[in-house]
Amino acid sequence: MNREYKEAVVELLYQLADDDLLVSYRGSEWLGLVPHIEEDVAYSSITQNTMGHAAIYYGILEELGEGKVDDLAQLRPANERKNAIILEEKNGQGHWLYEEPRYDWAFTVVRNYFYEAIKKKKIDSLKQSTYEPLVQTAIKIDTEARYHLMHWQTWFEQLIRAGGEAEERMKAAIEKVWKDIGGVLSLGPNEEKIVSAGIIESEAVLKERFLADMKEKFAELGLEFPGEPGMERGDGRAGVHTEDLEEAIATLSEVYALDPAVPW
Amino acid sequence: MGEKVPFYEEFVVFSRKTPVSPCQEQFTLLAPNHEIALVMAQENFMRREKVCDIWVVKRSDIRAMTPEERKTLERVDNKDYRTTKGYGYLVRIWREIDQGMLDEKEILSWSKGRVK
Amino acid sequence: MAISVRDAEKVKYREFMERIEAGEKIEADDWMPDEYRQTLIKLISMHGISEIMGALPEKEWTPKAPTLYRKLAIMAKVQDEVGHGQLLLRVAEDLIKPYGKTREDLIQDLFSGKLKFHNVFHWKTKSWADAGLIGWLVDGAAIITQTNMLDASYAPYARALKRIAAEEVFHAQHGEAIAVALAKGTEQQKQMMQDALNRWWPALMMFFGPPTAETTGSSKQEITIKYKIRKNTNEDLRQFYLTKYVPRIQGIGLTIPDETLRYDEEKKEWIYRQPDWNEFLKIIRNEGPMSQERLRIRKLSYENNAWVREALGLNTAVNV
Repeated sequence: MNREYKEAVVELLYQLADDDLLVSYRGSEWLGLVPHIEEDVAYSSITQNTMGHAAIYYGILEELGEGKVDDLAQLRPANERKNAIILEEKNGQGHWLYEEPRYDWAFTVVRNYFYEAIKKKKIDSLKQSTYEPLVQTAIKIDTEARYHLMHWQTWFEQLIRAGGEAEERMKAAIEKVWKDIGGVLSLGPNEEKIVSAGIIESEAVLKERFLADMKEKFAELGLEFPGEPGMERGDGRAGVHTEDLEEAIATLSEVYALDPAVPW
Repeated sequence: MGEKVPFYEEFVVFSRKTPVSPCQEQFTLLAPNHEIALVMAQENFMRREKVCDIWVVKRSDIRAMTPEERKTLERVDNKDYRTTKGYGYLVRIWREIDQGMLDEKEILSWSKGRVK
Repeated sequence: MAISVRDAEKVKYREFMERIEAGEKIEADDWMPDEYRQTLIKLISMHGISEIMGALPEKEWTPKAPTLYRKLAIMAKVQDEVGHGQLLLRVAEDLIKPYGKTREDLIQDLFSGKLKFHNVFHWKTKSWADAGLIGWLVDGAAIITQTNMLDASYAPYARALKRIAAEEVFHAQHGEAIAVALAKGTEQQKQMMQDALNRWWPALMMFFGPPTAETTGSSKQEITIKYKIRKNTNEDLRQFYLTKYVPRIQGIGLTIPDETLRYDEEKKEWIYRQPDWNEFLKIIRNEGPMSQERLRIRKLSYENNAWVREALGLNTAVNV
């Protein structure tokens, strides 16, 4: 593996790993607080699966000499993270613990639905990757990703079809998430290197496939299509992030950072 | 439209372990409808076991027995004729002509077909 | 000659008790004495809601768990607790159905203070070691209570407990693994674990409830034993717990903060310092160290997302 190829692989792996880590971190905050008990249980499995996917990607990075899995997941500062900004955003107002958390289920359903829809496109593309460990990973996580998509799509459709307050909340959430969903599609400043090395297909191709599905779904549900996906707050792949990420990293690494050198 | 029905409907979850195993009752859950029930079912009751299919059934659609009706289920223990119990003596007869018993093990082993 | 209604009830009761004595199982739609139903409702709804509330102390440490592996494992464990709550609430819901009540009523009873959650889930957690301690020693105590009811006369409860017990085996080992890693770790880690034990020991001694009804004015233990729902008394369970866990706690180098603790070979029982049962009384009035905070977060999330339940409960296009 020449240096340039390896750099491209590493770049994409960080994007995939950090995306899954942050979205699953936000999922872990919901545990115990989901609107319906049975759904709390189901959502937690999705969160675990997703964090499991992150662990696989970090594991490949460790094999490539990037450092220990837990160091990669927990100790990298915010400006080195490659996740999309929309995935680091807090679940709603208030702190996750005992400071009046008001988590927004509409935002959660919409963010997860769009995220999983894009993730599935990436997985399908990775099955043709020139980098064999990514091919194997894509094949391995495919059925879980399918389940996640089916799950969130069901919630998405039903809350829209419910009409009334639910539909209004969902529309507001769609508007909010759409403004930054481009960050999930982004392959970052090094896209050219990643794509020319045949590691994954281009952002344009992935976006077209994602939008085709969304247009169909929006039409089916009688929703106005919101147009070009935005990236208003910047590109997380380029290290642009918000305070929410810093807070998330501080929380998730609080215990590990006490002594990263010893077993826990 | 608009008439309020309870959010919580009871669904019974069934799962099939392999394509040739029977569908087995797991437990009940509350969900607003079949679709939501289905996307929650596996993770609620089969997080640690393999399944190849899941059914969700509205509990109100199941006609179960009443306590009185359940009392009809016991049978008199005199129905060996429905089983192989009464035919054990055949072993001896077949042995005389060097033939084995066509018991369950033997007959089910025929599923392999003719092995050349 | 007509039999009076009262005599008919007496006959039914006698037949019911004969079934119980014979080890038969009772189903939700079987006739049962009111005392039996009320006892089950109280026991199982409290058990169920305690699993839901019991997710919170550990949830506090779920996103903070030290490694990805530990994060995943504690998530799976807390998820199981919520799942156990689901199983048990379903059993309780079937019992309250004849009164026209649903899960909504149970949740509202929790908020109003009518339905209590287990005393052990009112305590504060201060470090990751507390999460380990809960997984190890609180779950250990819960496993002893729950396995004691595995043969419960009420079949739906026994079926739920059977599912629960199977998962508790994972919980027991998950908790042990965290505790052992800390107790065998650096000085800092050992100290964390010892501090957690010092803080939680009184709570663990309270876990099984007071030895007799005298302490708190009432106790359901005699009734639950009479109906073969459980086998042992609170004190029996505590003694059993000490026998199982004291050697393990001491064996990994931790010191139990009770210098009076010893096993009396003659009496064949553990001598231990009684916890402050006044504290216990405060807790069961929801006046424990974290009672109100945990109720608040539950209530807030429940009400904040009420629109989700309402949206799908309406007879809209989704449900016709």
